[in-house]
Amino acid sequence: MSEVVTGVGVLSAVSVGLTVLLLVAEAIFATYGECEIDINKGERTFKVTGGGSLLRTLAGQKLFLPSGCGGRGSCGTCKCKVLDGGGPVLPTELPYLNPEERRTGIRLACQLKVKENVRIEIPADLLSVREFQAVTERITPLTHDIRGLRFRLPEGETVRFKAGQFVNLVSKPYGDVTEPTSRAYSISSAPADNRALELVIRLVPNGLVTTWVFNHLKEGETATLIGPYGEFFLRDSAREIIFIAGGSGLAPIRSIVLDMIERGITHRPATFFFGAVKLRDLYYVEEFQAIAAKHPWFRFKPALSGDETGHPWERGLITDVVARSYGTLDNHEAYLCGSPGMIGACVKVLTGKGLPENLVFYDKFS
Amino acid sequence: MKQTPELDRIQARMQPGILTMKGFLGSDPRPLAEILAEDLAAVTAAGVTHAQIADRLAAITRQGTDLMEREVKVEDRFQVTVRDDRGLLPSPFGDGRFAKGDTEVADPRTGRTFRWNDLTLHLIRDHGFYNGRGSDYRLEPGELVTVFGIAPAAPGA
Repeated sequence: MSEVVTGVGVLSAVSVGLTVLLLVAEAIFATYGECEIDINKGERTFKVTGGGSLLRTLAGQKLFLPSGCGGRGSCGTCKCKVLDGGGPVLPTELPYLNPEERRTGIRLACQLKVKENVRIEIPADLLSVREFQAVTERITPLTHDIRGLRFRLPEGETVRFKAGQFVNLVSKPYGDVTEPTSRAYSISSAPADNRALELVIRLVPNGLVTTWVFNHLKEGETATLIGPYGEFFLRDSAREIIFIAGGSGLAPIRSIVLDMIERGITHRPATFFFGAVKLRDLYYVEEFQAIAAKHPWFRFKPALSGDETGHPWERGLITDVVARSYGTLDNHEAYLCGSPGMIGACVKVLTGKGLPENLVFYDKFS
Repeated sequence: MKQTPELDRIQARMQPGILTMKGFLGSDPRPLAEILAEDLAAVTAAGVTHAQIADRLAAITRQGTDLMEREVKVEDRFQVTVRDDRGLLPSPFGDGRFAKGDTEVADPRTGRTFRWNDLTLHLIRDHGFYNGRGSDYRLEPGELVTVFGIAPAAPGA
């Protein structure tokens, strides 16, 4: 019996020893030297020291792929096409890649280690994504669980974005949260206001970044923002516009409407349906009322689905309000921003009234 | 069930501050394997499956989904509100991301309240994980079966 125990002990000790040896050897010898990263077939190339993840390596060159989890391999957002040099797909990537993506060389940049020259393809827009160290200029409570934040960019810096796009806000470590974490938030300010970025953020129960914003971030503090990202922006057409938003989904609509005013887009009638449950959930109402009073092409229709009475707004679910506001939708396009549930319900109503689905634009943040 | 290195890795991702602020384990000190085994035993004892439980809760969520946070009475009993949050939550098992937005359920008959989201239901259905004790999202399988009237599947069903 004692021989068996001794045998198992020796075997375990040898295994542990070998593991330690391998780890030490990797740390000492597994330097991959200088590797070249080629982006979009020569559009940008640079040399880096190998060994890091592709996501961090690119970030080190101020090239920021979208990432919702900060490179922990849990969000599946940082996808890019690897033409050469990525090695085999790792098991940690598989849950996030569909068969078509695996076939065409899509990889998770946070999992891929740079060990040799790598050639990748990314959307051209991402080349203009930047990191900003901005000062939190103003934090404004907008409702009981929504705050408006204004970040001022460093002296001399400006930002270019399309109204409707979003940025990633990076939280700092706090409490049990030991690493910076980033989450996507729509920009609510106009592109013309290019020395600052405004966001509208709703507190999410148990949310890593929103808890930081609500409980830790202070005016005057520096925060990291990365962007812009996203394909949600006003399309160039002559169609009448239907905007629909709920909660913090108001943010990109505000940016688009302010941008329309700035750019003098007055030939397209636009109606903004803003849905909430209670009066306490409405915000920026005076601002949108003032816009509607000044610009005849713009109408603002808040709607409350709760039981409160004695208010001037529409009553009912936003989908019902939209449904009774239009007959056939034959010369319209719609821009929606809110939760997947809200968007799904709105798409049903709009397409039911004849609006082709390709004229319904939305950003589910998914 | 054995606490494998893979379960160790998953349990590490369930800690506070990794994927969500409070994590998935609450004050539960037990190894993940033990939590899963105990909940599986409760589900088996009730004669139901994890999928049945997840399906029942998902059906309640569906009835409030299109109401944009307006409270609705479901089955003439449960007061249900589905929060309309944007964004996605990653699974600690590394197998997908699921819409945020909690379903909050109050049962006036028992005085109990429940909370879950799409990730909670995925963890129940695919992994038999009901969160650790003390977690805001902990759901006791036996209690779910009783309160929501989940009947054992018919033999061969």
